[in-house]
Amino acid sequence: MTRARRPSPQTVAVLGALTEDPGRWRYGYDLCAELGIQAGSMYPILMRLADRGLLETCWEAEQAPGKPPRHLYRLTGTGRAYAASAVATAPSASPARTAAARPQLEGA
Amino acid sequence: MPVLVMLGVLTAAGLLLVRGGQADGDLPARIVAAATAWLPARQRDWGHAMAAELAQVHGRAGRWRFAAGALRVALFPPSGRGRRVLAVALAGLLASAAVTAATAAEIPDLAVSAAVLGLLLGGYATVRASRPHPPCRTVPGVMVAAVALAAVAAAIVSVARIAVAHPAAAADNTHVFAVLFAVALAGYLAVALSSSRGHAGAAQRQAERLAQRLAQRLAQRLAQRLALWWALAAALASGAIWTIIDLTTPLEPVGITGYLWPVGAAAVLAASVGAAATGSAGAGARAGLLTAVLSAPMHFAADLTALMQAGHYALTSPYDVAAFPHSGYPDVASYLLSDAMAGDVLVGLVVYPVVLFAVALFGASFVRGRSSSVTSMLR
Repeated sequence: MTRARRPSPQTVAVLGALTEDPGRWRYGYDLCAELGIQAGSMYPILMRLADRGLLETCWEAEQAPGKPPRHLYRLTGTGRAYAASAVATAPSASPARTAAARPQLEGA
Repeated sequence: MPVLVMLGVLTAAGLLLVRGGQADGDLPARIVAAATAWLPARQRDWGHAMAAELAQVHGRAGRWRFAAGALRVALFPPSGRGRRVLAVALAGLLASAAVTAATAAEIPDLAVSAAVLGLLLGGYATVRASRPHPPCRTVPGVMVAAVALAAVAAAIVSVARIAVAHPAAAADNTHVFAVLFAVALAGYLAVALSSSRGHAGAAQRQAERLAQRLAQRLAQRLAQRLALWWALAAALASGAIWTIIDLTTPLEPVGITGYLWPVGAAAVLAASVGAAATGSAGAGARAGLLTAVLSAPMHFAADLTALMQAGHYALTSPYDVAAFPHSGYPDVASYLLSDAMAGDVLVGLVVYPVVLFAVALFGASFVRGRSSSVTSMLR
């Protein structure tokens, strides 16, 4: 962790989603669809979290026929602690969940 | 006839690109693939991740939204330089406002062009500032940047001279040509500066991605430098020829570019074929593109400068003789110069460079013998 700046509501939402089942690997687009966050916002968040060592990434081993392997994400141990703290201190428990109610993405 | 040739060349180039890109999916997929290539090397995996996710996105709207997001990430990747980017953006806005105000006070007819050019260049500087790794400079790269800046400055000065001497000639109530002029110049500068500063970086990224050996990386860099040298030589040669002919030939204000543009086509073809033969198809196409980008403002400035040197203007075509009394222009010079400027902006700065780039693609693909290599190298 290099910065103590308060995470954005969208980052908190991503952390919250990843915390729900910390051991489970998640797909980027599934997080977009679940939280109603566009890819242009989601991937910078994931990139920053990974850069700070809060997120671990890997490529899926088994892929669908004819489709490229997908990138997977889950929180590291440090990330889980950070997420718990960030979610607990966030002004709203899950601000992006309200955005998720808006069907912005198709074909999830 | 020239129009038919242009349409033929553009259609063939379009087919070449479409055919070469068939295996790469729809347009959003190609946008994401191009965006992936634009990401810095250390973030390239994230580009591949986005490309892989797009395969899971169904529905045209969703795919376009996802592609737009990937493009945004590629243009402004997270780099921890938010303050620097903000400072550059603000400085760009301030500089743009200052230049626009000064132009509006001195040459009001060019204020729109100044505003658009300032905003676009400010936007370009902002995008560059957001890149995590500043690309390295090379000798030919610096020369390409210098020639591009000089050519664009010459084009601006040539228009300013006309606007000062014949204000009615530069009046553009629709602002179409003013905006087109600014967009074309900003685009040329962006292409030239990106090419001159980014090629070695692009080669390095490609080498890292493919995990190639040192010799391959050096060869790639050499090819990129060769492309710059070829482009420089071809652009300067064609610019010199164009200028000599412009300044020594009795002028017909309309149609100058009509018989001179083969000079540009020959230069572009020579650059693309030469660079492709000594480097790669990518080097050939870039050399051709750079030649067109460097030549266009040079030719534009030479044309308008030659017209200004004429001193005496006369209506020679029956159409102009009939149209001038109803045109609203105060004198023949303004009428002819306005017509020439509009034609040079539309044809010299927009249409010809596109055609010349198509010629470059053909030249490079001819050397490589495979059209698919041309589309892949553009990424």
